[in-house]
Amino acid sequence: MAAIASAAALASPAGAQGETLRFALTPVFLTSDLALLEALQAYLSSATGRPVELITRRTYQEVTGLLIGSQADGAWLCGFPYVQHRAQLELLAVPVWRGQPLYQSYLISTAGRGATSLDQLRGDIHAFSDPDSNSGYLVTAAELARSEERPDQFFKQSFFTYSHFNVVRAVASGLAQSGSVDGYVYEVLKETNPELTGATEIVRPSEWFGFPPIVAPTSALAGEKSAVLRQALLDMHTSPAGRLVLDMLRLDKFESEPPALFASIEDNWDRVRELS
Amino acid sequence: MKPPLSLRSGIPLTVRVPLVVVLLMVVISIGVSQLVLWRLVETQERQLGDLANAYLDGLESSLVDPVLRRDSWEVFDILDRARAVYAAVRPIETTVADANGLVLASSEPRSAPIGSTLPPSTASRTMIVSERDGVAIADRSLMVEGRQIGRINTRIDISPMLAERAEVTWYLVISNAVLTIALTALGWFTVRRMVAPMNVLLRHVSAAADGSVEPIPETQIRSQSPEWSRLFQRYNRMANALSERELLLGRVAEEERLAGLGKLASSVAHEINNPLGGILNAVDTIRVHGDNPKVRAGAVELVDRGLRGMRDIVRSILNSYKEDRPARGLTHADFDDLLTLITPEVRRKQIALEWTIDIPEGMTVSALGIRQAALNLLLNACKATPRGSKLGFSAGIVGRALELEISDAGPGLATDVAEILTGDEVSAQGVATSGLGLWVTRRIVKDLGGSVVVGKSKHGGAKLRVIVPLVESVSREVADVA
Repeated sequence: MAAIASAAALASPAGAQGETLRFALTPVFLTSDLALLEALQAYLSSATGRPVELITRRTYQEVTGLLIGSQADGAWLCGFPYVQHRAQLELLAVPVWRGQPLYQSYLISTAGRGATSLDQLRGDIHAFSDPDSNSGYLVTAAELARSEERPDQFFKQSFFTYSHFNVVRAVASGLAQSGSVDGYVYEVLKETNPELTGATEIVRPSEWFGFPPIVAPTSALAGEKSAVLRQALLDMHTSPAGRLVLDMLRLDKFESEPPALFASIEDNWDRVRELS
Repeated sequence: MKPPLSLRSGIPLTVRVPLVVVLLMVVISIGVSQLVLWRLVETQERQLGDLANAYLDGLESSLVDPVLRRDSWEVFDILDRARAVYAAVRPIETTVADANGLVLASSEPRSAPIGSTLPPSTASRTMIVSERDGVAIADRSLMVEGRQIGRINTRIDISPMLAERAEVTWYLVISNAVLTIALTALGWFTVRRMVAPMNVLLRHVSAAADGSVEPIPETQIRSQSPEWSRLFQRYNRMANALSERELLLGRVAEEERLAGLGKLASSVAHEINNPLGGILNAVDTIRVHGDNPKVRAGAVELVDRGLRGMRDIVRSILNSYKEDRPARGLTHADFDDLLTLITPEVRRKQIALEWTIDIPEGMTVSALGIRQAALNLLLNACKATPRGSKLGFSAGIVGRALELEISDAGPGLATDVAEILTGDEVSAQGVATSGLGLWVTRRIVKDLGGSVVVGKSKHGGAKLRVIVPLVESVSREVADVA
């Protein structure tokens, strides 16, 4: 991913003016999609009038660290790290998917198993996405916390793949018997990679949560860049270059949402913290 | 080990040489095929080992960190991606375990789930090839600072390698079979062509052995290679010499017969001379005292007896030497003639003759042949027997054969002379010693299908037993002998 980021940085439009806008990405969506990265970079650069550097990191923790350390001017983060670091992060925009700024977490298992609840997955080898992922960890951990159980007790073994795509791969290959995955990513994969998702089945979708948002550091220096970036995101659906990016992401548009959209994530975090 | 002579001599050269070619080709084919396959197996396994090592080397460097972190996903991800990168190695299943042998991840998680136990390896950096299962199993220890942190175990699909080996084996079998058949056919045709002149020679030599000596036609000689052509020409020279020898022997035998006739004629003349003197005296007596009936009757009787004796002698000679006689069986009269013919010689040498004839009338055996043979042997015995000694002759039936026995009191037969009567080959020395009489006798007896046995007689000389089988009917006289 570092190579991708470097390639993206080199591809910045030569005619852009002003200070470089550094935008961090996480494996919230599909990995290794160079075309998407190029399109996003091209749009942001054009819309903000600045050179744009895309920075990709493997974990949410790394991306969050970039934001807090002011090494990135904006990032597409999960709702969970946003909630965790709300004081240092500003909500810029939230993607709208299938008409609403919400998504679900899916519990998935190998195809043909017929499980319909988390309880039936007890003793499994379970694949999580990221310890800072809402859909890929927190939702399942919170549900277990309701029964005062922790993942390491409930599952025989669990591991993190640091990508929702890899969670599906792990379950499809049989490495894990079940997994926690972003419902949005899973639905996109059903279109783009049906053989992979065909080897899995959805055990149950979770309740609806605020879609992984675009955030920026709250530091005073970031103010202007954040405003520019927010406007570019909110205007994305109005330009052909922006629509191209949205189509690739299967999103409708970006819109402003209040922080309260992520209250349910915060509740889950509290529940998990109480147990630990 | 040599095969039995009968087997070796019983198989024609045209079969034996191709058989040897087949055997040689089979032996060479098996040897060459084994060598080729051995080299192929060695090369394939070396290449397989190189590929497997390259694969494991690549994995080893990537896996150390995730194994240390016990990161099952990353281990799986590395193995899964390596499957595409190392497609040429054809890994079926690669499993990584920790130092305790517990599986961290496998490229085929369903067969080796996380936490299951990886069977212990027999040795590090070894590869086991199982042709039956079509897989090669390689094992590699993951070492960090001299300590084992885990193991990589991989099963590699070697079915294409085995298929290639099988294909090469079939190629070898088919090509060797085709080569063997081709060389066998070539060997057969070549040898057949080579021995064709030998067969020609064999036919002529066999015919010569049966008495029909014929030269090889000039056209056949010209169509042969120079070596065979020279051999045929030499055979023809030999055949011509044989023919001339046969012709010469025939003439010599005829002359011998005539010489015998001359001797007999001399004896007969002497034999006839005595009664002839008596007859002339009787004629004079009749002329002078013919008026006296008693004297005349006595003289006529004397003339009659003398003339009858002369008639018997002449008839015996005629019976023995007249040619173009019809075939007939042997009778007592033939032995009477024999007695008549040798009596002059017996009488001359004052030999005591023991004459025993014990045969039925009209035996189915050639009368002329037996007469000729017996007369020759009797004359030879008379010649060998000292004056005043004994000479025995008997004729009888033993089983289905006529047996004649002549025993004399002579010095016995020399070995080379005896071989003239008993052997198949005649030495020039023997013929020179005995004359042609015994040789002619042997030919007669042989033509009649009989044999001669030479022994020692009770009179101190030679004893000859002539055994001639009786036949169904006498259809042919022995006309080509004296």
